[in-house]
Amino acid sequence: MSTLLQNKQIIYGELTGQSYTIDSFLGAGTQGEVYRAHASGQEVAIKWYFPHYIQNDMQLRQRLENAIRKGSPDNNFLWPLELVALPNNAGFGYVMPLRPSNFKSIVDLMRRRAEPSFDALISACLQLSESFLQLHAKGLCYRDINFNNVFFDPNTGEILICDNDNVDVNGATGAINGTPRFMAPELVRGDEAPNTESDLFSLAILLFYMLMLHHPLEGKKEASIRCFDQSAMNKLYGTEPLFIFDPQDNSNAPVAGLHDNALVYWALYPQFLRDVFTRAFTSGINDQHGRIRENEWRVILINLRDSIFYCRCGAQNFYDADSSKTDITQHCWACNRALVYPPRLHINNTVVMLNHNTLLYRHHTDQTQKFNFSEPQAAVNRHPQDPNRWGLQNISSQAWTITLSDNSVKIVDPQRSVNLAAGVSINFGNTLADIRV
Amino acid sequence: MTDIIKRPGGAMANRPLHFFWLADCSGSMYGEKIEQLNYAIRNAIKPMQDVAADNPNAQVMVRAIKFSTGAQWHIAQATKVEEFKWDNLTANGVTDMGLALQLAAEQLDVTQMPERCLPPVLVLVSDGQPTDDFNDGLNTLMSKPWGRKSVRIGIGIGQDADLEVLQKFIGNPEIRPLQANNAEDLVKYIRWASTVVLQAASAPASQVKDQASGGVVPIPQAPTSDVDTDDVW
Repeated sequence: MSTLLQNKQIIYGELTGQSYTIDSFLGAGTQGEVYRAHASGQEVAIKWYFPHYIQNDMQLRQRLENAIRKGSPDNNFLWPLELVALPNNAGFGYVMPLRPSNFKSIVDLMRRRAEPSFDALISACLQLSESFLQLHAKGLCYRDINFNNVFFDPNTGEILICDNDNVDVNGATGAINGTPRFMAPELVRGDEAPNTESDLFSLAILLFYMLMLHHPLEGKKEASIRCFDQSAMNKLYGTEPLFIFDPQDNSNAPVAGLHDNALVYWALYPQFLRDVFTRAFTSGINDQHGRIRENEWRVILINLRDSIFYCRCGAQNFYDADSSKTDITQHCWACNRALVYPPRLHINNTVVMLNHNTLLYRHHTDQTQKFNFSEPQAAVNRHPQDPNRWGLQNISSQAWTITLSDNSVKIVDPQRSVNLAAGVSINFGNTLADIRV
Repeated sequence: MTDIIKRPGGAMANRPLHFFWLADCSGSMYGEKIEQLNYAIRNAIKPMQDVAADNPNAQVMVRAIKFSTGAQWHIAQATKVEEFKWDNLTANGVTDMGLALQLAAEQLDVTQMPERCLPPVLVLVSDGQPTDDFNDGLNTLMSKPWGRKSVRIGIGIGQDADLEVLQKFIGNPEIRPLQANNAEDLVKYIRWASTVVLQAASAPASQVKDQASGGVVPIPQAPTSDVDTDDVW
């Protein structure tokens, strides 16, 4: 039940002079209400602030005007397009694109109402890292990363970042410091104002939450708190933050029965992910300038996605180069059967699993094209006559050179495939890859 | 393949947040006022559910106490906010506010509360002065650790509301009781108490300017009353 605006009410855009007609009430938060509206046949969303919120946030209008002028960092932000106002009314709001209905919030992820596969989830994490990179590169600071600002498509992993009204120039003082569980410890303690470095901490928290469905600082110490109020939060997230998997100190280790997600997920990801999260929440807690940056997350997340392979039961599991060297058989987290690895490519220091649906991109095949996922260059396929033989098809425009285990050299022209066999080495041009089975 | 569980584990860990309405249904509330209160609380349910839905850290459980001559549970069972429905209050009798606090205190005893929770939220709505021993009730409430840790809001209805008593209940000089002088204000304040305050107890935002601090959770500024209204009680 809305209180501020009515259906069919007309409000005016300050930049374009357009008149927007309110269609329906979408929802309310603590800052204001969001409505669906239209202008010139286009559907939009409009956020209209509560008068008491406007009084509390003196820089709001300026911040919005700055954001509108600067424009969105990339296509993943529901960015303010223009301010809207009503005649004889001191209130205001802003217009933004409407969020399509296939996007669910991270809250839905945490409540298990939206269920992406591992690869869609990791793609979402990757998109988030890339979008925050763009935001920070523009000299901006998000300042309020939390569950409610991020939406994703559980099928594709596409993301949308909302509530961009707290975004400001890095270093600017403002009304909001963030949401406690996401805030960097120096912000919780009140030692510093939000900046890019504190954003990076919040990004690490969000990625941990998404991949582990649990908070990195909530272990035994959290379990021992009866009433989880402000002062308890200040301690756990501000003055005494301790990673639940801190290798030097297990006094905040996860408690079985209370923190099960942390225990289940930590075990099934590869060591390199555990290593980066450990760094993020040990040295990353206090060493603000040493925090994991977006480009490092991008590399880790791509490697994580590339390490996915399928168990016979259909569940996605992760290849861990470290544990596979040991004699201990790895088991599927879903059906507990022993895992059988598909063929894989070793490219420089990374391993890319070759599943039935694997595609390789320039990111994999060309060392000068890191992060380029624009067009697939190779695809796993089956031999047309023998479905038990798997190959890697060249769907690029350049021939590959392969060296077989007997040292003979062959050319794989575009549209041809190389048989996935042990000892074969592929030269994509400037990048070499070894097939292992 | 369609029935495959894609990823293991369960929902994110969370804690209960116990929310209590303490509603005055004394004789002076009879007529428009009690109907306005019923409307305001019923009107706040969906926004409250929306806030709760946005806070996966909290499992919001709602109950209600009514007080007039004596105090009784109006909705005794702690109900998940997703399922909460408001039963209409009727008005008759005096104003045993102290007993209402005693009743709340009983349920906030350590033996009745889960081991681990978020701060409970108590919203006291009254149009007049207590006719019983308010201080005794308040002391009992504050003798309970969960009572001390609770976030307490006071809303006074009309000119005869005892703001001093509400302020005592709140117990935090930075949070003032709200005085609703018309139906619109009541709707606004009830909504604020059930959304903004709920949000603050679930996931307090950091220290914002003009935000009351020093309590269990920081409480953002309450909405103000619009000056021009013709519906005055």
